[in-house]
Amino acid sequence: MRQPIRFFTTHKFIAAATATILLGAVLPAFAKVDLVTLPRRNAVQLTIYNSADLTLVRDTRDLTLVEGENTLQFSWANTLIDPTSLDLRPRRQADQIDILDLVFPARVNNVGIWNIMSRAVGKVTMDIDYFTSGLSWRAFYMGTLTPDEATMQLQGYVVVRNDSGEDYENAQTRLIVGKVHLLDQIAELSRRQYPYGRPGMRPVQTPMASPMAMRSLKNAVMMDMAHGGAAESESDRFEEAKEIKKEGLSEYFLYTIPGTETIPNGWAKRLPSFDVADIPVKNLYKYNESRYGTNVIRFLSFKNDTEHELGETPIPGGTLAAYRALEKGADARLSYEGASSFQYIPVNEDVELNLGPAPQVLVDITRMNTTTKDYLFDQNGDIAGWIELETFRVRINNTRPVPAKIEIPRNAPAPLWTIENSGDCGRYQKIDAHTYRYTLELPPATPREFTLLLTSRYGRRAE
Amino acid sequence: MRRCLFSILLLCGLIGLPGTAPARVKLVALPDRSDTQINLDNPTATLVEEERTLTLQQGRNQVDFSWKGVEIDADSIRLNVLTQPESVNLLSVSYPPAEAALVWDLSSKEATDVRVRISYLLRNIDQLVAYKMIADKQETEVALKSFSVLRNFSGEDFSESRIQANATRAFEGIDLPHEETLQLLALDLPQVPINKVWTFDAARLPWDPEKVDGNVGIPVSYVIKNSKTSGLGGEALAAGRVRVFQRDGQDGTIFLGEDDIPLTPDGEEMKVYIGDSRDIVVTQRQMKKTKINIRRSGNRIILYDTDEQITATMENFKSEPASLTMIQHIPGEWTMRDCNIKYERKDAGTLEFQVELQPNSTNQLVMDFNRLNVR
Repeated sequence: MRQPIRFFTTHKFIAAATATILLGAVLPAFAKVDLVTLPRRNAVQLTIYNSADLTLVRDTRDLTLVEGENTLQFSWANTLIDPTSLDLRPRRQADQIDILDLVFPARVNNVGIWNIMSRAVGKVTMDIDYFTSGLSWRAFYMGTLTPDEATMQLQGYVVVRNDSGEDYENAQTRLIVGKVHLLDQIAELSRRQYPYGRPGMRPVQTPMASPMAMRSLKNAVMMDMAHGGAAESESDRFEEAKEIKKEGLSEYFLYTIPGTETIPNGWAKRLPSFDVADIPVKNLYKYNESRYGTNVIRFLSFKNDTEHELGETPIPGGTLAAYRALEKGADARLSYEGASSFQYIPVNEDVELNLGPAPQVLVDITRMNTTTKDYLFDQNGDIAGWIELETFRVRINNTRPVPAKIEIPRNAPAPLWTIENSGDCGRYQKIDAHTYRYTLELPPATPREFTLLLTSRYGRRAE
Repeated sequence: MRRCLFSILLLCGLIGLPGTAPARVKLVALPDRSDTQINLDNPTATLVEEERTLTLQQGRNQVDFSWKGVEIDADSIRLNVLTQPESVNLLSVSYPPAEAALVWDLSSKEATDVRVRISYLLRNIDQLVAYKMIADKQETEVALKSFSVLRNFSGEDFSESRIQANATRAFEGIDLPHEETLQLLALDLPQVPINKVWTFDAARLPWDPEKVDGNVGIPVSYVIKNSKTSGLGGEALAAGRVRVFQRDGQDGTIFLGEDDIPLTPDGEEMKVYIGDSRDIVVTQRQMKKTKINIRRSGNRIILYDTDEQITATMENFKSEPASLTMIQHIPGEWTMRDCNIKYERKDAGTLEFQVELQPNSTNQLVMDFNRLNVR
């Protein structure tokens, strides 16, 4: 399999002609080095972020060290690795191994050399950490409502995509939920000619790999995949779907996919994240003229808590496609109810999914009357204050075959105002200094009407 | 491949100065450079000091110092005679026309070898400081490393040089060729205590997150005190970029975020912003804002007070406690009538509240205040 990332360990006192050729091809300036070994990759761990184009890679390899001075060359041509993030650590015997420095040699691109002083001899397992760009993941969801829309089955998936330029074979894959603070784009750092730029200048960037080179990469992947295509068919045994392990760390959530995954460059992989049935949901319809105009917007509402069969972890942001089973049973046909993108949902937080306009629930608010009274005048005869009375008729009609909960928030622009309601207006609530709200619950196929009188005091009448 | 862009020539004493460049004769000896020190303690300029041995004749000697392919501030070039300074006098310094060069005119009492130190400001060579922190899983301490990243794009190769990174730290025997970047470990402290803080500033964050498309995060920072009690102190921590990781309990780490920190003097705190928390939610509302005590000129209001109430609901969805710093702003002249949480007045219009949020809890701040004499 193609492997753009290359490692060489070198020791200065043993001669081997073939190895010299290998190294010379990569780094002519260091042709004085005599022995080159290519350590195999033992394991690789990918920690992929969804809020930024960022993946933390841990590459674990066994290096054979000699006592004294050793060098480890790392090269990353045609990848999207951020060289300023390179970090080398021995897993064991750390007290016997000193990482002296990391050199980005002059006039050589995409190469870093660690100088290592070792008192240990023989095989040493090393972790090489670095950031790369080009790997990403996203979450998406399928929600299936029961015919009465009282509960929902929620199925979550993650899709991991690899456009990093590097094939990751048998990688332990972890996904991070949370917003990370990044100062530079990793992709831009990876394209710098000099890892840390030049003094006194803006970072000099080299162009992306040419289209020809990109094509060449893709062809290589295709060939690799064709070559390795037997991997799936060679396993004839029945396997359970993987269950992602979830864990909170700092302000993030870490999703660990069990086992390992092979994600060649250019490929994506979809994995089930969770599948929860019987989540109690509420259908909420909102009529908010200032936000949505005169449309009634349907919201699917539930809470990310244990009462709703959820609440173990936050739910990463993504898109949910909502369906409704038209009858009970596993073979029920479905109707598409709408889709909604949502952001990260913490544990115990209410969820409101905006499914878009709901033309089957009607709200009509009509101004029926406006009067003013109790004018005050100042010493010049100008108006100094007054009271305005506005009467609105509110008509609501739930034409759906299921109950509907409807919220109607409204604004009151006057500095001082009161409301008088007549008729069944449901629950009336003052939200803040300029906002009030009605909440009504209507049975199936039921109309409702009430009247509200808004009394607004202006000028000196508001004092 | 070595580059030799500087040349120092001892000239025969027969040439005329000042003269045109082609007329100058330049050859006697090429003294080797030794004991080079690159001073990077000042982030705005790099001072190079190098020592050479000059073989002087009795009487007048001219030392030609020229450079090509490097940027030297000619006014910064200094010559200091280290051995037998009493027998060598610097008579004058001349600048040949249209050349990157200068000529020192020295007078020596006798024919002898003298050691001199030449110093100059060299451009395009500098140092960046990069920090790496790895927090423990409980976020109570970090392993802190700092690296000096030396960038040499000056046009000159340096070998076996002493790098003075700051007032107290130097690296010896460093090779630094032109166009090389070298990362050296400067500081390695396995346990430095930290405080984790959340900050809501009402002037910078939206009041009602529900009305914002997208998550609203509360900024989260680690605070480290540059003091002996933290294992630090004694020197300022240089400005630089910090990358913060956290141990994941599985023999690995995750990346938490990065920040640029300014110079942190001894005894002061370094605050590293690592990202935003979406498990702390603050919803702030203006519940009342009315004008009172109105004064008029004719029909025009010229002076009034306000009667205001602001509430802020602080929800902690985490299963751990959180220390929230809430910053409120009341402009102009004001008086607090009632406030249910103690605050510290940071300046005339800034109030700071320290609120300890229990796990999975909701707290509420209610401020009743009057703004006075609003015009």
